[in-house]
Amino acid sequence: MGRPYAMLRAGFPYVKTVGMRRMTVNFPVDLAIGKEGVLHILCRNEEGAMVRRLTGEDEDLGSFGSLGVGDGQLRWPVSIIADREGNLFVSDEALHRISKFSPQGEFLGKWGSHGAGDGELNAPSGIAFDKDENIYVADALNHRIQLFTKDGGFLAKWGSHGAGDGQFNMPWGVAVDELGDVYVADWRNDRIQKFTGGGRFIFKFGRSGSGESEFHRPAGVTVDRDGDVYVADTGNNRVQLFNHEGRYVQKFLGDATLSKSARAYMLANPMFLRLRDMAVIDEQKLFRSPRSVRVDDQGFMYVPDYGSFRVQIYRKDVERLREDQIAAPLRSPSLLTA
Amino acid sequence: MASDNLALTAHLMRRAGFGSTRGELEAHAARGYADLVEDLVNPERFPEVEEDVLERYYGWLEGVQGQVWAAVWIYRMVNSQRPLEEKMALFWHHVFATGVSKSDHPPSSIQQIKTFRRVGLSSLREILLELSRDPAMVFWLDNNENRKGAPNENYGRELLELFSMGVGNYSETDVKMAARAFTGWTFAQPLGLYPYGFYPSRFVYREEDHDDGVKTFLGSEGNLNGHDVIDIIAGQPATARFIARHLYNFFVADEPQVPAWSVAPPRDPEAIDALVQAYFDSGGEMRSVMRVLFNSDFFKESRFKRIKSPAELVAGVMKLTGANRFPDTRALDYADATAAMGQQLLNPPTVEGWHTGMEWIDGGTLNERVNFAVGQAQDAASPGVKAIIDRLAREGAPLSPKEFLDRCLDLVGPLTVGEETRDALLRHASAGGDLDLNADAQREAGEGRVLRMLQLIVASREYQFA
Repeated sequence: MGRPYAMLRAGFPYVKTVGMRRMTVNFPVDLAIGKEGVLHILCRNEEGAMVRRLTGEDEDLGSFGSLGVGDGQLRWPVSIIADREGNLFVSDEALHRISKFSPQGEFLGKWGSHGAGDGELNAPSGIAFDKDENIYVADALNHRIQLFTKDGGFLAKWGSHGAGDGQFNMPWGVAVDELGDVYVADWRNDRIQKFTGGGRFIFKFGRSGSGESEFHRPAGVTVDRDGDVYVADTGNNRVQLFNHEGRYVQKFLGDATLSKSARAYMLANPMFLRLRDMAVIDEQKLFRSPRSVRVDDQGFMYVPDYGSFRVQIYRKDVERLREDQIAAPLRSPSLLTA
Repeated sequence: MASDNLALTAHLMRRAGFGSTRGELEAHAARGYADLVEDLVNPERFPEVEEDVLERYYGWLEGVQGQVWAAVWIYRMVNSQRPLEEKMALFWHHVFATGVSKSDHPPSSIQQIKTFRRVGLSSLREILLELSRDPAMVFWLDNNENRKGAPNENYGRELLELFSMGVGNYSETDVKMAARAFTGWTFAQPLGLYPYGFYPSRFVYREEDHDDGVKTFLGSEGNLNGHDVIDIIAGQPATARFIARHLYNFFVADEPQVPAWSVAPPRDPEAIDALVQAYFDSGGEMRSVMRVLFNSDFFKESRFKRIKSPAELVAGVMKLTGANRFPDTRALDYADATAAMGQQLLNPPTVEGWHTGMEWIDGGTLNERVNFAVGQAQDAASPGVKAIIDRLAREGAPLSPKEFLDRCLDLVGPLTVGEETRDALLRHASAGGDLDLNADAQREAGEGRVLRMLQLIVASREYQFA
């Protein structure tokens, strides 16, 4: 199904929160939506790294991976994606490699070596499949994007260090839309850049700041089937939504409620209940340093809420419009709105 | 041989900061000592550490565990262009020792260090006021339980005994009055660690818990609140003397431990007098006091009269080797290293803080110090070590063993060593004959000799001194 001509945006309500500290999630940096909606949540801090597996109903399915440098271990993992078979690929910016796991978490292989030559990596960050399941890699400290086959064969590269069009400063997230165009969260340039699949610059949006269309170190980017672009605006503790032209639509600041696991945990701990009763809870709903945002085909948006050990889930509510359902574009704004 | 100017500049940078790379040192020395002091006491002239990169690799810094934040602090010690800002934060952390182990609430301890960084060069009055409003301190010394009619004297007592005046300069009644003045100074209950992670706290003044009766404190009578008590304390000669002695111990030369100060005279009474005078001349502004301290003869003559704290040793070694200039996966090792040497940042052992000087050293901690320094200096590819090798090579002609030793001592410090150490190092240098780094056949072996010499130097007794 192609992109709609336009949309009536009815809303984008918060749905629920899943996960909680340590019991189910620990510093989530990214997630992949696997077979049957299983959430594979990539967790990372200096004291641990793993992939936690949760159902959308907050049921714990266990974990795989551990902190280390051996096969199947993770040191500084950044991004996780699932292929059509449900296999999982994880980038690791400390080990300069991509590791592959089965849907159940068995280690299947790895590729990547440290360096600046073609096909070599220096701190690989965001990863994304194209429609042929080749993998784009944000090669952060080489300040470029590289394209590989699923098995690590080098195919292409573009970009260099800088702030010009097509240049990067420590790029982080990368996403591919259904047309094959590539979006890059150009982290230290505080912007999103869009390219053709071959690396030709198309456009950019964003600048440094905290207002609309402004970013403070955007880490994650994703695109849904309507062409809407979601940006995890990490330093501003929010997610911003843009349309396919890069026009700002709305922002999400966080609306968390207690997850199923969190509720059960709290009810079993009288002292924690008392302390919570003494505290102001306003700020607990807000995102803290989100590093990724993901969407699925049902319109759900998943925000791994890095500083709060959980995933907040929203759902897009739109009516997709044909050209004959909406007036022609206007060149100028109008006050004739009545 | 190093010029005296270079050696003096290195001394200043070890004390006001955590050392310098050779390049930094030469640039500083070229500027002139007094100008350099002005830069140091005015850190706002220089950009702050770029925390975005730290957050990218180490995680959201408001939410990390204490030891991770300690690792980040060490990174800042090594990389900040505002070295005295970091050093003052460490100084106040020594004086106002607050341990995260009691609260197990890292955000508060982190916030406290950030406060010390922010106000560390301002007036003592402001610093004590911030301290008294600091949730980590309030909880550490139980002021959250200090209420009208049921005072808890812990904070009032330590404020006088350890944070400002010292034993013998106030009465037990003053302690009780100070405690009453701080009733109601508490913090808002933060959300708990579970289910969604730590949240910060903030100071709260609870009017209903404050004792607004008449109090007499150090001769002043009235309805005194905490602000009034701090004003009175900041104006006391005993306070100026006590803080001056802390400054002397931390920045100039090792003193006895704090509990002995009421009976043991200062090592240099005239220096203390000079700092006290600077305190009163400036209205208690630490920036002015530090300016006087660094420009004084007693400071300039105090080279290698202090044993480095573990944090100083670790950060100083990194300045030498060029390690830790970009986030890497060894960061926690660095924080763990200072802990193994007896200084777990954010977690001093008691409210008295770390005992300094010779008490840093025992068989175990000395071993940790030497092993760390030697381990860091063993990599010929590390930028600082490579720079030393390249510099020796650029000097052209083969170096005699004596020249080889002198150049290495110069480039490591400049470091002055005693006769016994020098003889041992010279014997080692002589065993290999002249050093020629420009002869291809000898380059690899020569690099190995430089590495071993550097390792021996950083393992020396003298290297433990700042």
